Amino acid sequence: MKGKGMKYLGLSLCGMAALALSGCGSSGEDGKIEIEIVQYKPEAANYFETVEEAFNATHDDIHLTISSPNDAMTILKTRFIREDYPDIIGIGGDINYSYFVDAQILADITDYKGLQEVNQGYLDIAEALELIPTEGTYIVPYVANAAGVLYNRDMFKEHGWEIPETWEELTGLCQEIQSAGIRPFYFGFKDTWTCLAPWNAMAVELAPADTSKQVNRGETTFAKEYRELAEKYLQLLPYGPEDPFAYSYNDACTAFARGEAAMYPIGSYATPQILSVNPEMNIDSFVMPAGSAREDRTLNSGIDLGFCVMADCPNKEAAYEVLDFLMDDENLQKYIDAQNAVPCKKGDFRLASMLDGMLSFIQEGNMTDYQDHYYPSEMSVDALLQTFLIEKDVDKFLNIFDTNWQRYNRDIIRMVQDYEASH
Amino acid sequence: MKNDRKRTFLLITIPILALFVCFNTIPLIRGVVYSFTNFRGFGKYDWVGFRNYLDLFTDARVGKSYWFTIKLAVVTTVVVNVISLLLALGLNSKIRAKGFFRGAYFLPNILGSLVVGYIFNYFFTYIVPALADMAGIKSLSTSILSSPGKAWIGVMIVCAWQAIAMNTIIYISGLQTVPEDVYEAGGLDGATGWKQFRHLTFPLIIPFFSINMVLCVKNFLMVFDQIMALTKGGPAQSTESISYLIYNNGMSGGQFGFQSANAVVFFIVIVIISVAQMKFSGSKEEQL
Amino acid sequence: MKHTSSIGKSNKTVMILLVLGLSTIIFPLYMTVVIAFKQPSEMTNSISGILSLPKTWSLDNFREAMRVTDFWHSLGNSLLISVVTIVLAVAVHSLMGYALGRNKAHNKFYGFVYLFIVSGMFVPFAILMMPLAKQTAELHLANWVGVILLYVVFYMPMNVMLYSGYLVNIPIALEEAARVDGASTWRTYWSVIFPIMRPMHATVAVITALAVWNDVMTPLIIMAGSGENTLPLAQLNFQSQFGTNYNLAFASYLLSLIPILIFYGICQKQILNGVTNGAVK
Repeated sequence: MKGKGMKYLGLSLCGMAALALSGCGSSGEDGKIEIEIVQYKPEAANYFETVEEAFNATHDDIHLTISSPNDAMTILKTRFIREDYPDIIGIGGDINYSYFVDAQILADITDYKGLQEVNQGYLDIAEALELIPTEGTYIVPYVANAAGVLYNRDMFKEHGWEIPETWEELTGLCQEIQSAGIRPFYFGFKDTWTCLAPWNAMAVELAPADTSKQVNRGETTFAKEYRELAEKYLQLLPYGPEDPFAYSYNDACTAFARGEAAMYPIGSYATPQILSVNPEMNIDSFVMPAGSAREDRTLNSGIDLGFCVMADCPNKEAAYEVLDFLMDDENLQKYIDAQNAVPCKKGDFRLASMLDGMLSFIQEGNMTDYQDHYYPSEMSVDALLQTFLIEKDVDKFLNIFDTNWQRYNRDIIRMVQDYEASH
Repeated sequence: MKNDRKRTFLLITIPILALFVCFNTIPLIRGVVYSFTNFRGFGKYDWVGFRNYLDLFTDARVGKSYWFTIKLAVVTTVVVNVISLLLALGLNSKIRAKGFFRGAYFLPNILGSLVVGYIFNYFFTYIVPALADMAGIKSLSTSILSSPGKAWIGVMIVCAWQAIAMNTIIYISGLQTVPEDVYEAGGLDGATGWKQFRHLTFPLIIPFFSINMVLCVKNFLMVFDQIMALTKGGPAQSTESISYLIYNNGMSGGQFGFQSANAVVFFIVIVIISVAQMKFSGSKEEQL
Repeated sequence: MKHTSSIGKSNKTVMILLVLGLSTIIFPLYMTVVIAFKQPSEMTNSISGILSLPKTWSLDNFREAMRVTDFWHSLGNSLLISVVTIVLAVAVHSLMGYALGRNKAHNKFYGFVYLFIVSGMFVPFAILMMPLAKQTAELHLANWVGVILLYVVFYMPMNVMLYSGYLVNIPIALEEAARVDGASTWRTYWSVIFPIMRPMHATVAVITALAVWNDVMTPLIIMAGSGENTLPLAQLNFQSQFGTNYNLAFASYLLSLIPILIFYGICQKQILNGVTNGAVK
């Protein structure tokens, strides 16, 4: 019977391996230059599919493939360890970008002409993300997102509420809303990352933009820079739901969409989820005021998606041609329309209506990056914030923040201090 | 004849063992090597000697995750084994619609974790508090998942709910190995109910009991999916399991080297626990 | 099981308890089905809202879910991987379980191999991920073949443990009888032992199938960049950090539940009608 065959099962397994071995190693079969982009926003997959088609229809010499996988960071990291690099990656301007620059796997694209059309504010933000000042530019900022407070426009109109421009006005407004029998804020703190939204939005006004770097250089401590921020954050809690830690991001979006609260401190990225529940809702946003002077306000905005050419990419010229195509006004506008995004490129673009309240800041270029783009994800600052909001102990929180920072950033701090010493 | 038997066993064992070494042991050794570096998962890295291991013992977060995981594993193992053994006995007895029941009780195991997470979150956040309000139970009127002290119970319930199906299947297949004449003989002696179970059925399914114990302890010590679906480690980092920490900080974060060290220590801990367990139940098996 | 007549009464209690226990399963299932049919605009946080029936019973969600996941293609990949893994698991793991189960008690080498393999169960997957991603790429196994090989290795510890546990209750006398007839050990295994372990094959098949069917991580890291999706991988489409379409996701999960439920239905009959009751005497 089948006995004999089974005996060599181990062998046949190896055979299968060998079979798979022969089935690889094809690229650029018809002489075209292959360019592969992996970008990390799966929600924009449709847009990138159309871009890919349009590009390939108009270019004979380059063949473009764009993939928008889920969990792209895991996929990118596994591909990096296999040394199987795409030509261009689309990522956000956060700590991962800093790490990639530090790991020297990105190409210097200073010579890319398209950079001149990018809003200088975002180039500065990208520059600031480098762990230690590094010669060159490594990312083309594509679109940004903005965080502040989303509010129910119809509800505000109905009650005649004014947009607050200082911290005092904000708390006054909250009391006014409360006395009208409406909940001012909704929070979804069960998902820890949402704890960072109000934190970031207030931090841009209350703490120096480069707090983390100052700490790394040993010039200050978080306890010093973040105290006011932490205290003010606690003052927001009474204006939210009774047990905000029970509700997830999704719950909060649903509740806000159903009119259970007048405002929701979150980024513009939340609007599609809110509108899916209540398509008729009229949402606008404003910059979160955290200080007493209205001119101190600045928009919390960072690079949501930018493109980096990998150091390994054999055809930089072709990669630049692809970038040109992506940066084309018409294509960029399509992305903005589909994702309610803010362009990083200079020029006249139509923005989504829920960004009306932030428009003047965007036009003036008055924006500051998210503080959390400097936090290493393994330090889980979001979870530390959640703990803080539950325990409400400012001293303990700031203390833990400082000790954990030293612990999780040990190697970076050493690197920074070595750099400082030699420059 | 004897030689044929010996040779056959060797011919079976060697190639399969080689495959196992190739895709389990070798990558593990490579992982152990990383545990002596500050590797982030990509790019360049430095050797740091035993720093990661020393850090492990002073990291309060790691300590907390061990305590949470062990507490969860012990309680869930007991709950799951009691319920699934009862369930297996019930589903193995002469009842109507056996096939339907077996199918239905199997369902929790196949619902994807997104579904399970959503439903149980809803259940704990909205339904339980509403029911508790109606019944006037003050302590349950807020979501247990939002309380750092109670969230682990929520995780425990979901783990048990999902795991019972699998353990029940193993117990049922164990009950099939009990020959009917054992019961017939027992019936003559007047052994029924608990006595019959204690003295006739249970001793015969002890191998399955020990398999289930080992599997449970292993599954719950390595709990990950349920944490991701239900709490993502919160509130206040009270439900961070060891696997969650290893994955979240090692893969998603930039602590690959450090978390590899954590994984190595964790591996050794579970092996010790499980070998002890197997030795213990092995001696039980022989006694009976 | 046709013993004693006092069973009749206790059967009723058993029935009642089973039905009560069933409610813990019916309720989540009800929620899943209802949500799968609703539109996002019907989602609320109120209890009456979530438990109410959908406004219309349209199959649109299912159609859309099938489109988004490229259902038939992903299903094909999932089926291919699952079926091959199950066949290999039953063949390879039962053999290994047999070799180790029969020898581990009295032979140091086999005893060690048994512990060595079983302890493989406790290796946290996270530590293997990076090295495996690298190693499979080096061996040109960054595809479904590699995924299957890894599954055969990952589930080996548990399945070997199950098989050798089952063997304890199978008397060695059965093999000796066959040997007297002049059959080799290899033949005896396939003609006597393998068929007897049928209930365990079914159990192993179900457990392995379940684990493979829902697994995201292995195909994610091994098949990354290959452009091929399994069903669970495709289902990741429904969730992103900033928005999850639960209605489509639930519809899709209900769809992917059907094949595994059918498979379980087939297998559980095998577990149920184990031949051992007749054979082992």
